[in-house]
Amino acid sequence: MKRTIVPLGPQHPVLPEPLVLDLVLEDERVVDAVPTIGYIHRGLEAMVEKVEYTEMGFVAERICGICSFMHGMGFCASIEDIMGVEVPERARWLRLVWAELSRIQSHLLWLGLGSDAFGFENLFMHCWRMREEILDIFEATTGGRIIFSVNRIGGVKRDIADSELAGIAERLRALGERFAEIARVFRADPSIHHRLAGVGVLPAGEALAAGAVGPMARASGLATDTRLLGTHGYDRLDFEPVVEAGGDCLARVLVRLREVEQSIDLIRQLVDRMPKGDGQPIETRVRGLPDGETFMRLEQPRGEVVYYLKANGTKYLERFRARTPTFANIPAMISLVRGHDLADVPNIILTIDPCISCTER
Amino acid sequence: MANPLSLPMSRRALRNLVARPATRRYPAEVRPRFPGARGQVVFDPSTCVFCNLCARRCPAAAIECSREERSFALDQMRCITCGVCVEVCNKHSLSMSPEPRPAHAVHDASVGGGRPRRQEWRLAERPAAGAGSGA
Repeated sequence: MKRTIVPLGPQHPVLPEPLVLDLVLEDERVVDAVPTIGYIHRGLEAMVEKVEYTEMGFVAERICGICSFMHGMGFCASIEDIMGVEVPERARWLRLVWAELSRIQSHLLWLGLGSDAFGFENLFMHCWRMREEILDIFEATTGGRIIFSVNRIGGVKRDIADSELAGIAERLRALGERFAEIARVFRADPSIHHRLAGVGVLPAGEALAAGAVGPMARASGLATDTRLLGTHGYDRLDFEPVVEAGGDCLARVLVRLREVEQSIDLIRQLVDRMPKGDGQPIETRVRGLPDGETFMRLEQPRGEVVYYLKANGTKYLERFRARTPTFANIPAMISLVRGHDLADVPNIILTIDPCISCTER
Repeated sequence: MANPLSLPMSRRALRNLVARPATRRYPAEVRPRFPGARGQVVFDPSTCVFCNLCARRCPAAAIECSREERSFALDQMRCITCGVCVEVCNKHSLSMSPEPRPAHAVHDASVGGGRPRRQEWRLAERPAAGAGSGA
């Protein structure tokens, strides 16, 4: 049969980022997909050679607008690891509160984008309305809605008062109730099932072989979650990784739905177990220059991110490298679109929650 | 064909018909700013000693400060409102205002190509005590 190549991207209706896939079609069926990356490469990692390590955190959090807190946290934690800095207890807990809030807002954003892609605009607006409340919490506590600039090497810049933390937990509890209503739509609506169930099935073995991470791997039945390592203070929280067995687009939606509920619960645990009392230290003063190298792993909303930093005893780092979750999920995505109709490709691409800004940096 | 009234979204959709809108009538109705929001950096020339600390620490190089010329310039379009300058200023001449930069400045800069939000202060005359000591 004659093959046709349909270029998907860099401008396409799936998401606003410049993802590029050359789809090789036989009739309506995709037989191959060739990805191209590099359309939004900004050379942020190379900037470590020109930007002082104390200021590089501001660059790191600009890698991506959705995972900005996690990137800033990952960079600062890496430098703290190299320099052997002990972060104050309060700062550790506050970082986790913001990290889990980031996960909620990222998943709500994605659930909205996903609904928009499978033609459920009403649901899209409801998801984004809830996300707006999380952004309000961010603005009130960090001063920014997207770029927070609260992480710094040795701790955090701002404290959240105990009364405010209790207020956040209460707001999230109320948000959780409203979210349950929306989650019921995702779980029970026949049109969503018709569009997503059985589409883009990634078996567990294939997910493992392709190196899938995050919700993508967990939707295929792999219980992988970097938070289970217990680093960054996650060992003090009680949680189980959210795992679904289906491996299809619907399972990936369900994993993210349950992760929003899980993160709301984690923030409640954090607020309950955090050492109380205002005026505790939130920052350790860092002196000297970093020398050495480190690997740092974090669970971002999209999956595991790995940072590699190498310092050489000067104020400029020698190397900064971030392996982002979308980059790890692209091989699995390519294997998924093969054999599917062209009309299913947007859904399959979206359910891996691609972040091209992260991938290309 | 499913019964439309038994669909999980139906009840929510019916409630939306009578509920208040989630959005505001912007710009007639503007959301109040959060007190700690990082809107823009505000400079108070009356207390500044032109020590240059803010300019050296600014990660975006948005501040130019000269002790000799007793001048200070802040480029609001370069500023990333990280707040580093506000923290390092010993004289509290810099502060963070929750009011955001006006949107027309962004428009002027992108369309006009210039840097209209560059604010400059030049305090030519020295304070009286310092001027008298050299005579």
